[in-house]
Amino acid sequence: MKEIIKMIVVLSLLCGASGLGLSYLKISTAPLIEQQVLTYVQGPALKGVFSDAENDPIADRKKFASDGSEVTVFPAIKGGKLVGVALESFAAGYGGDIGVMVGIDTATGNLAGIGITTLKETPGLGMRTTEPAYTNQFKGLTPDQAKLASSGGKIDAISGATISSAATVNAVAQAVKTYQSLKDKILAAW
Amino acid sequence: MAGIVKEFTKGLWAEIPPFRLVLGLCPTLAVTKTASDGFGMGMAVIFVLALSNLIISAVRKIIPKKVRIACFITIAASLVVTVEMLMQAFTYPLYQSLGIFVPLIVVNCVILGRAEAFAAKNPVHLAVADGLGMGVGFTMSLTFLGAVREIFGAGSLFGHHVMWAGFEPFQFMVEAPGAFVCLGVILGAMNFLTAWQNRRKKAAGQNACLACAACALAPAAEEQQS
Repeated sequence: MKEIIKMIVVLSLLCGASGLGLSYLKISTAPLIEQQVLTYVQGPALKGVFSDAENDPIADRKKFASDGSEVTVFPAIKGGKLVGVALESFAAGYGGDIGVMVGIDTATGNLAGIGITTLKETPGLGMRTTEPAYTNQFKGLTPDQAKLASSGGKIDAISGATISSAATVNAVAQAVKTYQSLKDKILAAW
Repeated sequence: MAGIVKEFTKGLWAEIPPFRLVLGLCPTLAVTKTASDGFGMGMAVIFVLALSNLIISAVRKIIPKKVRIACFITIAASLVVTVEMLMQAFTYPLYQSLGIFVPLIVVNCVILGRAEAFAAKNPVHLAVADGLGMGVGFTMSLTFLGAVREIFGAGSLFGHHVMWAGFEPFQFMVEAPGAFVCLGVILGAMNFLTAWQNRRKKAAGQNACLACAACALAPAAEEQQS
């Protein structure tokens, strides 16, 4: 009996101590980790979307509430004026969610460009959605034109990767919808 | 002091983890696509191994025998999560390239193996020396394997181009089968080297006095004791 109590006490103390230590570490590293994720995951995609922005879209980001969830919006400023915003949206692809950073030209409401942030698609097929040859097709399109060619839009799907291509298009449509619902707030914020 | 040096240096060659003990092969094969990935993984393992040996050795007297494995795993797992968070916070690109293999350090046999075989039976300073030695040996092995695969598979070393201009990289080397082939060749080479050294020792021993034969037996006897 004494042995069992000792085992319980030692194991509980050990687990409690490690839980306490880890939760403290988690809280103290959370802001650093968020910064790193933004720099290395969203950063490259943002650069592709707004190559000529004069500010740092990551440092100037703001959060907006939309339909109960939070949306992070990245602004691009040129000559002291807001020229575009980017927001990230997700849609189901072939191997999980595909994250797309969608840049929108605030003057016209057209697409400024897109960049892929996270994906787990098939190498050689779905993974090709990250290539500029594919993503550059979105540049300057109106939201209505950003559909696959098979459904009357202007985007040529990657052959053999229709699901992945459709996912990027869906993500773009979703981002545009979010942007339109938040448009007034976003334009007032910068 | 001599004990510390002995425990530290045994991990560098005599008991170098992936090649001699053949422990911890999962990261050895999986994350050695480049020398820097192997090095980063090794650093994470040094951190976890040295600290887990330290903590386990410090609390070895109060841990009841029956739940020791659970205690070791708890300690190792906490340290691994610590490494994972620190890596995410400070070296995110390394975290991206190591991926799932960072959390998998928990089940790396080297950690539990050293805890059970050494830290649980030895005082703190020896346990730390053992952990550091094993960790450095592990890092050396991974960096070496990664360097070999990177040189032949990509023509570069630590990201710098080292091969001649017309060099055609062997794609095979940076993929999974290349890791197995490389590891096999290294294990074979090390066994060959050891056999050759033993043969030379034997040849020398025949000419020398009989006392030397006793010296050759000493390490074997010591191993049985530990």
